[in-house]
Amino acid sequence: MYFSDLGFISLLLAAGFAVLAIALSIAGALRKHTALVASAKRSVLAVTCFLLLASASLIISFLTHDFGVSYVAQHSSLSMPWYFTASAFYGGQEGSLLYWALMLSVFSAIFIFTSKRAPTALVPYVMATLMAIEIFFLLMLVSVSNPFARLPVPLANGVGLNPLLMDPGMLVHPPMLLMGYMSFSVPFAFAVAAMITGQLGSEWLRAIRRWMLAAWAIQTTGLLLGAWWAYHVLGWGGYWGWDPVENAALLPWLTATAFLHSTMVQERRGMLKVWNLALVALSFTLSIFGTFEVRSGIISSVHSFAYSAIGGYFLAFLALIIVFSTALFIFRLPRLRPEQEFDSAISREGSFLLNNFLLLGVTFATLWGTLFPLISQAFTHQTLTVGPPFYEQVNGPILLILILAMGVGPLLAWRRTSIRALWRNLGWPALAAAVCAAVLPLFGVRDVWANVAFAVCAFTAGAILYEVWRGVRVRHKHGEAYPIALFMLINRYRQRYGGYIVHLGFVLLAVGVIGSNFFQSQKDADLKPGQSISVSGYQPVYLGNIDEKYPDVETITAQLQVWHDGQLQQYIYPARQFYPNFDNQPASQISITTHDLTDLYVFLANWDGLSQATIRVFVNPLVTFVWLGGVFMLFGGIICWWPERKKRHVKQFVKDVSVEDQVVGTRATARVPSQPDPTPAPTMTRSVVSKIRNHSRGEGGVDEGRGPLRSPSYPFLRHSRGDRLSADSSGTKEATP
Amino acid sequence: MKKQRALLLVVAIVMILVAIWSYVLLVAPASESLDQREHDVASQLKCPVCQGESVADSPSTISQQMRGVIRQQLQQGQSEQQIIQYFVSRYGNSILWSPPKQGFTMLAWIIPIAILLGGALLLMLVLRGWLTAGRASRRAVDEDGGEPLDLDDLQQFQAQLEQELAADDPMFARMSKEEHKEARATARVAPTIDEARRAGNVSKEVGS
Repeated sequence: MYFSDLGFISLLLAAGFAVLAIALSIAGALRKHTALVASAKRSVLAVTCFLLLASASLIISFLTHDFGVSYVAQHSSLSMPWYFTASAFYGGQEGSLLYWALMLSVFSAIFIFTSKRAPTALVPYVMATLMAIEIFFLLMLVSVSNPFARLPVPLANGVGLNPLLMDPGMLVHPPMLLMGYMSFSVPFAFAVAAMITGQLGSEWLRAIRRWMLAAWAIQTTGLLLGAWWAYHVLGWGGYWGWDPVENAALLPWLTATAFLHSTMVQERRGMLKVWNLALVALSFTLSIFGTFEVRSGIISSVHSFAYSAIGGYFLAFLALIIVFSTALFIFRLPRLRPEQEFDSAISREGSFLLNNFLLLGVTFATLWGTLFPLISQAFTHQTLTVGPPFYEQVNGPILLILILAMGVGPLLAWRRTSIRALWRNLGWPALAAAVCAAVLPLFGVRDVWANVAFAVCAFTAGAILYEVWRGVRVRHKHGEAYPIALFMLINRYRQRYGGYIVHLGFVLLAVGVIGSNFFQSQKDADLKPGQSISVSGYQPVYLGNIDEKYPDVETITAQLQVWHDGQLQQYIYPARQFYPNFDNQPASQISITTHDLTDLYVFLANWDGLSQATIRVFVNPLVTFVWLGGVFMLFGGIICWWPERKKRHVKQFVKDVSVEDQVVGTRATARVPSQPDPTPAPTMTRSVVSKIRNHSRGEGGVDEGRGPLRSPSYPFLRHSRGDRLSADSSGTKEATP
Repeated sequence: MKKQRALLLVVAIVMILVAIWSYVLLVAPASESLDQREHDVASQLKCPVCQGESVADSPSTISQQMRGVIRQQLQQGQSEQQIIQYFVSRYGNSILWSPPKQGFTMLAWIIPIAILLGGALLLMLVLRGWLTAGRASRRAVDEDGGEPLDLDDLQQFQAQLEQELAADDPMFARMSKEEHKEARATARVAPTIDEARRAGNVSKEVGS
């Protein structure tokens, strides 16, 4: 009995419990039998336990160097440090599928522990959908892609891990991306449940949004880590190469971003229901497509670590998902009518539509570019490549418009905006853009497009900062010091200001991308000791190579001095590493040093003995902003996601009133009484509000592009009608964690 | 009015700046260094032996040689297009890093743009449909509303809305102090919805 046998048995048991969970939850839902649903929940937890056991067995097989297991023998060796040995768990196809299944079960368990917050009717169907996805992966794991398959004769030593993967970034990048792909299945399960039960109200939307936000944040982390890894390991001076696999990871991220925006329209205005469901389904489909693409190797890529035959199964699964969700759609289409009408294109709704349009445009262009080689192969039998120039030319302009829309959108009010109010708010950002456009050429930005792009970034950054500043100023006037005012503002309107932080991060990232794309300089040179090359002000002087041999790795290190403006800055040591069994794939240690926001990126391309080296030098301005912007985006995403403090009495009160569906999102809010009101309070219905709105329209001045107010203290309302207007959008929002 | 004028001024400044700089940049041809031009050409070619790297990015020997050829031809005065053509004639279209904008591969470029334009058109049509539908239904509400809301009530509701918004909203803080006082005064005497309902003014719309 080996640990691998234990693992395989666990997989079989997990599959059994998954089937049981589906049967129990569907039966429970149909018969409205809570005990059945409860045992379905326990079956899901059993699946989680068995997958944890299976994963533990695989990790133990790795750590005990059980080279009788084929997967262990192919992906680890005796000389690897323990952390790479353990992380080889997801270094190959079988292991990464197991990791996917494990994470899905862990997320299912988290869903079950938090299922009290989700609409009760949806829970069984969410479980059933999650377990159906789980079963697909488990079937793959026990049949065509078994990580526990044993070799007839155990090897004395394993092959080892691909050197490209022997990098600290690799410990975290693949698990993050795989987890990102996986995490789109929870919103998808919610969408399926909502469509099956017909509960398409705002409740499921709120339940789904935090899951989607979590998926978005995980995927953002994965993409950033991928970019970081590419920058530090691949040696071509960039961080994003529009590689098919990178694109595949970007696609669900784009549609998830689109969803996170359009969901606000549905929450506020009850519109775009079909569209939102479609985006959820699309995100999941694209994430499965991504996994399929990485694993099938149908498109050549730098990520071609594992080709295999499982592509066909994924394709079938993909087709099944598409057919299933389309059928559900058609079934439920009549129930997905918008609740309210559209008033004006120049409104917040309009800007969200534009946002969705542009994001979907980028998604389509990227998908098209990724698939075009296949199409061309099929029609003309000609292999060709769709490389970065294509994506830069097609996606670049769309993304620039998107950034511009990011600046204008938040300034628009819901329903409609008076042009005058808009102009008033655009003044400062426009000034920022103008100053930027005027000043930058003096600092050497002589490319028109770069200048335009920087000006757009300045505009949007200006608009966001101005918006934050206005909020802070108001609070400051009420007696709060500026830093506290800023903190309170973000803390109280997390979605809104978290969103602004994400936007700001995206602008910073764009500045970094523009800087490093337009102003990168590069040089290659064969150097002998004492010789130097000069790249835009930097002068690396080559000194010689050092050759170090260790049992598990041989390292060639070049020594260089960096001179800048006639001054010695520092010594740098770019290196290459040879791992046994991968002699033709030396890993690289690139020297990246940052001076004044400019990266000096030195790569040892080739060498001859100890006294000759081919050095590639890149000078990459502003790359720091890419990482900084990424961190900002992540931080903002977490702020949006962070749970509200619990306010039980509010929840209780709103439940009593049971107004979730009938009350409109006016932002007129009033003080919610601190004690539950025994008698249901009358509520302002949509028709009244729309009537008021209709009459008040056109008066100008009423500009409501602000976030929802939350339990503000209005002295005059406290006495008169506080308990009558209480149930509004912000009240209901507080009720859901 | 004053602010609008300021904005116009800003817009004018931007326009002038753009004009000047584009003139400077377009008329004075970019005198790129040989390195830069070599990089430009090399980054449009695919390294024939690598996975997903351009000739400019790849450290492989063949890419190094190709960069040498590019530099040589540039020094001989060949244009970038001629050099790319030279490589295409030797390696075929697969040497190109992005699909050529002619023949079948033109589709790679056209389709996304066409879809984008089509999408924009569709969005516009849908928007127009929604807008007219919205207008029509608003009119219908106005017409069959029967007993219309009392105008006084409406004003009071509006004053109240604005009051609530103003409490924490910079946009509304722009309202003058007199307006504030006035609004507050009206709001204070305003009847509650219940009272309004009892009065029969809004009976049809309130409650459910």
